This record gives sequence, structure tokens and C-alpha cells, in this order.
Amino acid sequence: MIGFGQRAPHPHAAARRDRRAELTLGAFAVGVLVVIAAMVVTVAIKAWPSFSHNGLAWFGSGAEPDASMRAMRDSTPLPGHSIYYFRAWPLIWGTIVTTLPAVLIALVVSTLAAVFLTEFAPSAVRRTVEPVVRLLAGVPSIIYGLIGILALAPWIEHDFISNSRKQSVIYVVQLNGNNLSTGAVILAVMILPIMVAITMNALAAVPGSWKEGSAALGVNRWRTIWRVSLRTARPAIVAGLILATARALGEAVMLDLVAGSRDFNANPLDGLTFLYEPVRPLAATIFQEAGGLNIGALSHTLYAIAAVLLVSATLLSLAGWATKRSIARFGVL
Amino acid sequence: MRAHRTRKHRTLIALLGLLVGLAAPAGAIAAKRLIEGGSTSVLPLAKELAGAYHKAFPKIPEPQVLGGESDIGINGASTGRFDVGDSSRDPIKGVDPKHLIFTKIARDGVCIITNKANPIANLSQQEVESIFTGRTRDWSEVPGAHISGPIDLFDRDGASGTQDAFQHIFLGEYLQVSPSATAKTSNGLEQNAVIADKQGIGFVSFAYTPGTNAVGYQGVACNLRNARSGQYTGVRNFWMVTTTHPSAAAVKYIKWVTSGNAVTKRIINSQWIAIH
Amino acid sequence: MVAPTADAPISRGPSLPIARPGRESTRSWPLLDRGFYWACWATGIGLCLIAAWVVLYMMVKGLAFLEPSMLVTSPKPEITQQGSGGFFDPIVGTFVIVAIGTALAVPIGMGIAVWLSEYARPGWLARTVESALETLAGVPSVVLALFGLLVFSRGFLGFLSESSVSGGVTGTSFLTAGVAMGVLATPLVVAANYEALALLPSRLREGSHALGKTRITTIRYVLLPAIRASSATGGVLAMGRIVGDTAIITILLGGGVNTEPNGGFLGLLRGTGATLTSYIFYESPAGEGNSHEKAYAAAFVLLLIVLALNGLAVWIARDRSVARRSIWSAFGWDLPWTR
Repeated sequence: MIGFGQRAPHPHAAARRDRRAELTLGAFAVGVLVVIAAMVVTVAIKAWPSFSHNGLAWFGSGAEPDASMRAMRDSTPLPGHSIYYFRAWPLIWGTIVTTLPAVLIALVVSTLAAVFLTEFAPSAVRRTVEPVVRLLAGVPSIIYGLIGILALAPWIEHDFISNSRKQSVIYVVQLNGNNLSTGAVILAVMILPIMVAITMNALAAVPGSWKEGSAALGVNRWRTIWRVSLRTARPAIVAGLILATARALGEAVMLDLVAGSRDFNANPLDGLTFLYEPVRPLAATIFQEAGGLNIGALSHTLYAIAAVLLVSATLLSLAGWATKRSIARFGVL
Repeated sequence: MRAHRTRKHRTLIALLGLLVGLAAPAGAIAAKRLIEGGSTSVLPLAKELAGAYHKAFPKIPEPQVLGGESDIGINGASTGRFDVGDSSRDPIKGVDPKHLIFTKIARDGVCIITNKANPIANLSQQEVESIFTGRTRDWSEVPGAHISGPIDLFDRDGASGTQDAFQHIFLGEYLQVSPSATAKTSNGLEQNAVIADKQGIGFVSFAYTPGTNAVGYQGVACNLRNARSGQYTGVRNFWMVTTTHPSAAAVKYIKWVTSGNAVTKRIINSQWIAIH
Repeated sequence: MVAPTADAPISRGPSLPIARPGRESTRSWPLLDRGFYWACWATGIGLCLIAAWVVLYMMVKGLAFLEPSMLVTSPKPEITQQGSGGFFDPIVGTFVIVAIGTALAVPIGMGIAVWLSEYARPGWLARTVESALETLAGVPSVVLALFGLLVFSRGFLGFLSESSVSGGVTGTSFLTAGVAMGVLATPLVVAANYEALALLPSRLREGSHALGKTRITTIRYVLLPAIRASSATGGVLAMGRIVGDTAIITILLGGGVNTEPNGGFLGLLRGTGATLTSYIFYESPAGEGNSHEKAYAAAFVLLLIVLALNGLAVWIARDRSVARRSIWSAFGWDLPWTR
């Protein structure tokens, strides 16, 4: 018997070795499972006191989150409330108001741009731009944050935030270049390359025979793309969208840099000034307050915020799984 | 069979040997060092003192100095995370954890700062109050201002000792800094914010004034000489905080810092006020 | 299109160039279609411009401010920033973190991928592990850092980081951050390896069993060598993910800029420090340093490292469509076992 560099083993010894190997590798898998389960369980346990003291009102509005957290740090509860008092709505609103526009912009722009790159662009353009897009997809988010705070924010402050606009809200908040719109734009720029790359991949996988068949029926190119290519690529686009949303939700450091890092409840009724008000999403809040982790009530609050992020990440994963089932159903890559 | 097994795993064995070889000498040398942390105002002073302490006693590893703001320092000293906590505010009964010892090590000046494009020479008590509580919102209403436009107030956040000191000294017991001000989390960030914003105004520890315009208070310029002579009233204490039973190394360190020897005196007097 | 089988090559459309019409005249198209056509061109060109601007901006600013001395001088944090030292410590820190994280993620990830692909008994356990890995892939790194801080501040794990003389465990060190990075990168490695193993033709396994080899022998001597390219790609992608993360570094490695080791190599690993990402954060206007020249220079170096890793991944996968696909699955959009 030709061995792969060893003597022919006794059949029982071989089976035992195989079993041992299976158990060792299974132990790795179980180990990772234990780590993840421990994380979920610990976050849930540590988050519970904050939720139990506040109930569903935790998600509502009331005192500013920073004021509540300061009270927890000083161990002096806000008048009339317990030390666990916390109202997270400004932070949740900040997350919604940066993530949603960014994802929508990225969806529209990436689909159109991917169609352009795969169908309409001259091949020289595609050959140059495609590797650049793939590179940008892997660029660390801190670099986007740097560009945002050093290039985009000063431009927005200079050209869009006039003194009169500042005066109009000065009793409530101070405006500068780090605000909601800067955050949303930079987030969109960060998500774009990933979604473009995924959509391009999906469009390239559409069988040529389908497109040729559609052209043979006399359908013009755009209609072919819309009805055949994009439809086929739809599950992949949705999967890319979910991935991009998960990435945007978890973005802490970059948004801490450019979105204002102030727990202000941006008010759409302020008109255009709404776009220039500072906000702070959930993940950025955890990042900023991570220093106070060993102060009792504050740590429970931070874990509560982490729990909210975990739940949304899990919901997104579930949505992704549901989408992949439809990929399997259509039988298309 | 055993030789064969060793040969099979030769890369793994070599790797383990390398790790042990690198770790062994380290394990023999490393002694535990003091970990100090807290106020960002005390930070520059603490770093210099730590370096000088290691120079004076080369056998003792240099204490590691971290930041985080005064409240973090006090809490850290209480939970044991820090051997020595740094605080730039006086102890507050009921807020601070119990069973702590505060040792005064120096005094420090707090300056109001504005951007260099707006070199205000002096602000009276009235003006300081009305600017920082938000009654005055525009530079055009401030006599002596060199620019116009809305005032961008920079405050410190709740864990800051400097914020505490500023409130007590400049605003008194009943007034508070306007909640619409932007709160920064350290002296360095406050300094950067005012440097970057022409319409900005804030307050920092004296060591952080380079690059900004230090505003005089009640007719007295904010500099070290006036602070030392007592003419400038914006002066507060620096403390080192330990538990009631600190470690011997911490006791030795604090004793050296407060001993008033030539080295510590020179360091403290460079940008702060020595009291020993 | 049918899902790729073991023997049919993956079809990405026709392999012969399509004879496309030069530029199809859109005069006959309805207005809406023409509108979309122009929109596609506009956004396409817009995207090219944005991409070019980002790349050129970083290159121009980076080259303007980067001096070779910065790569070998340690940072000197002073109150009056600007002009103090370079970023040698952060570069060393980046390499250390990447080494620790990859050293953890690659073996463990490969082991899990092999188990999921070849054994996967009992079925409920395999499905649970798959769901857990999908969850982990979507967890924000801040939450992972928070959990890491909690775990590593415990007494019995205190050997991984420094403790104060009074006994308080800091929980922040290269080792703790490295372990957190390893956990972060594991799903990527698992996805890349699993994908590759799933695409291996069954005749490899069948032939090996026909020769009487056990499963573990087959794995070790037949399957793993066959997926070498994909494993390497997975490892490189893991490195890319680790290099780019800031939240875990700032929380689990401390926010300073120097490595101040207390005693040799092990002291370095157990001490705090910085990587390029946390250094960039420190020197940005939101950090204490506020020296944008240093920030641009460090960002340029980081970009070069990412470029090198990308190039490495593409080069490893150059002739192997399987490995190329694992680059895409490792993005996470299509964790392969759900197909």
C-alpha cells in the first residue's frame, strides 16, 4: 500500500486517530461557539438592569443621554429618577439618520454605476476602474474618517454653514463641519465600493445567452439590463445591501470623527439646518464612553446599547439568510 | 518511532523554542510597575515626575501614566485599576468613593483661552459669566473682541476636574456652563478645538495654553508669575489619590513627589506652582 | 444557470468577446429608458471621479508629508504637537497585532472549515456553529472590544496584560487586542476555506478512500494541499481586516502612541501600545495630537500596506478561479454553506 510518508496503520488505530482528529477539530468549532455564546449571554445579562429599570421607555426620549451618563459617573441620580435612568432616542435617531440616507444613496449610486461599468463603459475604463474599486472596498474606515474630517468637514462648514444659520440654533446647539450630512456622505462613500464590487460581480455572472435572447427579441439595451440582468442580480444586490448596512451600523470610530460626536436630537423641523446638526450614533457612543466601563450603572447602560447593536446585527443576518434562500430557489449565483 | 514523531513536528517544536527563548529573559527581568492615571491636566506633570523618579531610582521601573479625566482617576484608584489616581479637582463628599486619601502635590492655573485671531486681553467677571452661561451669544456684544459672529463655546464633559474647578472659581456656586456648549473630553482636545475655530472660547489648564490666546481675568493676565504671586485667582489644586491602604511602592512614590527635593521642585515650578 | 458542479467550470458569461454594437443609438428609446441611460453614465463617471479623487488625494497628501525619518523614529507625544517624532512604534504595533491575530485566526479557522466540510456531526451542532459564525461576521467590532475588555480584566486572565502593583488588571495589551482580532477574523478564514473545500471535486476524496486512507489522512495530505491558494487568500484577507480595525485597538490596546514595554519581548506583548490606525485617530483633529501632517503620512503608509495585501491576495489567486471566488465569499456576502 502506498503511504503518504507513513507506515500503513492498523485499521483500528486508524479509525481511532480519525475519531481523535474529528474531536479535536470539533473542539475548535465548539470553542468558537462557546466564545460567541458567552459574548451574547454576557452582553444580555449585563444589559438587563438598564432595561429593567427603564422599561420600554429606554428607547424613548427624555433627558439627554450625556446628562444621564454624567449622573451615573457622579453617582448622583438626576432629580426624580433612579441612577439607571436613560433615554436612548437621540442616539437611535442619530443612527437612523446617518445610516438610512447613506445606504439609500449607496444603493442607487452603486447599482447605476455597476451597470455602467459592466455594460456601457469602454473596456479600458472598466479595466482601470475595477481594481481601484476593489482596493477602495478594502480601505480601513479610519482613512475615510480622516478624509471626512480634514477635507469634507471644512468645506461644508465654509460653504454651507453661514453665521446666520449658526445664530438660528445657537440657543440649543453649536454647528460646525462635523454633522449629520458629513457623516452620511462619508458613510455612503465608504459603503459604495463594496456594493459596486458585489453588484458588478453579480451582473457579470448573468448568462450571456439570456441577454442575447432578450436582444434577439428586439428589447433595447436598457430594458434588457433592467428586466433581465438586474432582476437576476437582485438577490446578490440585496445581500450586498445587507452587508453594507451591517458595516454601516457597526461603524463607530469614523462616525465619532465626522458626525459631530454630540448626542443631539437632530430636528427635521429645523428645515435645511437639520442637515447640519451634530448627531452621535449608537456605536460611536459606546466607543466614546468606553473609558467608564467599570463604573456600575454606566457599564450596564453601555452593555444595553451593545445589546441593541447585537440584536440589529442578528436581525440583519436573518434577513441575509432569507435572501440566500431565494438565491438557492432561483438557482442562480 | 519517537525520533520520527519529533521530526514530523519539527516546525512546531522550533516555534515553541523560539517563543520560550524570547520570553525567558523577559520573565526574569520584569518587575511590576506602578500604574497611574486620571486627570488630563495632571498628565504632563505626572509624566515628567515619573521619568524623573525612574532616573533617581533606576532599579524601580518607571510608573506608567495614563489619562482619562479626574473622575476616572478617582474611581480607578478606588477599584485598584490604578495604583495612584490623578485628580485636578478637590474631593467632593458623597460623590467620590469612600476610603480614599487625597494628597496635594501642586497647584495649577486655569486660563480662559480664545483663538489667536481674536486676542482678547481681558474679561471681567460679568463678561465671563454672561459668555459661559450663554447670555451673550455673539462676539459683537463682547467689548475687546476682534472678530464678529456667533460665539462657539467649548466646555469639558462631566468627568473633568478642570470643568469642576472652572465652575467653582469663575462661575460661583449657582451658575452653570450653558448646556448648548460643545463638551470636550480632555485638555488637549479643548486646546485643539479653540485653535481650530476662530470664534471659539474655552478653558484649559495652564500647560495647555500654547497656540492660543490666554485671556486675562479681572484685569490680571493669566501667566505663571501672577498665579504664583496670588494675583490671578483662577488657581486650583492637583491631587494624587490612593486607597486608605496603598502599596509600599505607591507610598514611596508619593513621598518622593511631595518631599520638596530639588528635582521635583524644578519640575513643578516649570509650569505649575510648587507647594512643598 | 445551474449551480457550479464539481466538474463544470464556473461560467461568468461568454468567454469569447461579445460582438457588441459600437454605440447603440438611443434615439429610438423611450424617454424613461434614455433617462436611465444618462443616469448610468453620469453616476458611472461620478463614481470614477470620486474613486480617483480619493486615491489621488491620499497619495498627494501622503507624499507631501511623508518623510523617511518618520518610519524609523518613535513618536514623542508633547503638549504642543506638530513636529515631534515619527510613527515607528505604531508600525511595529501593526505588525505585532496582525501577527498575533492571524496566528490565531488561520489555524482555528481552517480547523473549523475542515470540520464543517468533512465531518459536521451531529447535524444540529454543525448548523449551530454556522449560525454562530454568521452572527460573529456581523457583530460590530466595538461590541467585541467591549466584551474583550470585560473578559480580560478578570484576575485569571491577568497574565495577558499588565496588572497594577495593587493587583488591578488593566486588560489592555497587545495580547488581548490580538486575541480579539483573531476572533474577529475567524469567520473570514472559515468562509474562504469552506468555499474552497466545497468546490473540490469529489473524485479527490473518493480516490483517497479507495486507497484505504482515513478521513484525517485525506484531509491532511490531499485536500489541504489542494486548497493552498484559497487558504492563503483567506489568510491575507484576514490580515486586511485586522489591519483596518480601529475600535478594538483603541479600547483594548490603549489610546497612547508609544509602546512602553516593561521588560523584553513578553513585556512588550503584555503592555499597551499603538498601531497605525489608532495613531491616525490620535493625530486627527479628534485626537490629542491634532497634527494632520502626521495623520496623512501614517494614512499613506497604511494605504500602502492595504494595497500590498490586496495585491498579494490577487497574485496568489491569479490562475485559480476557485481562489478568486474565495476572495468574494470572504467578503461575507455569501457565506458558502447556505447555498
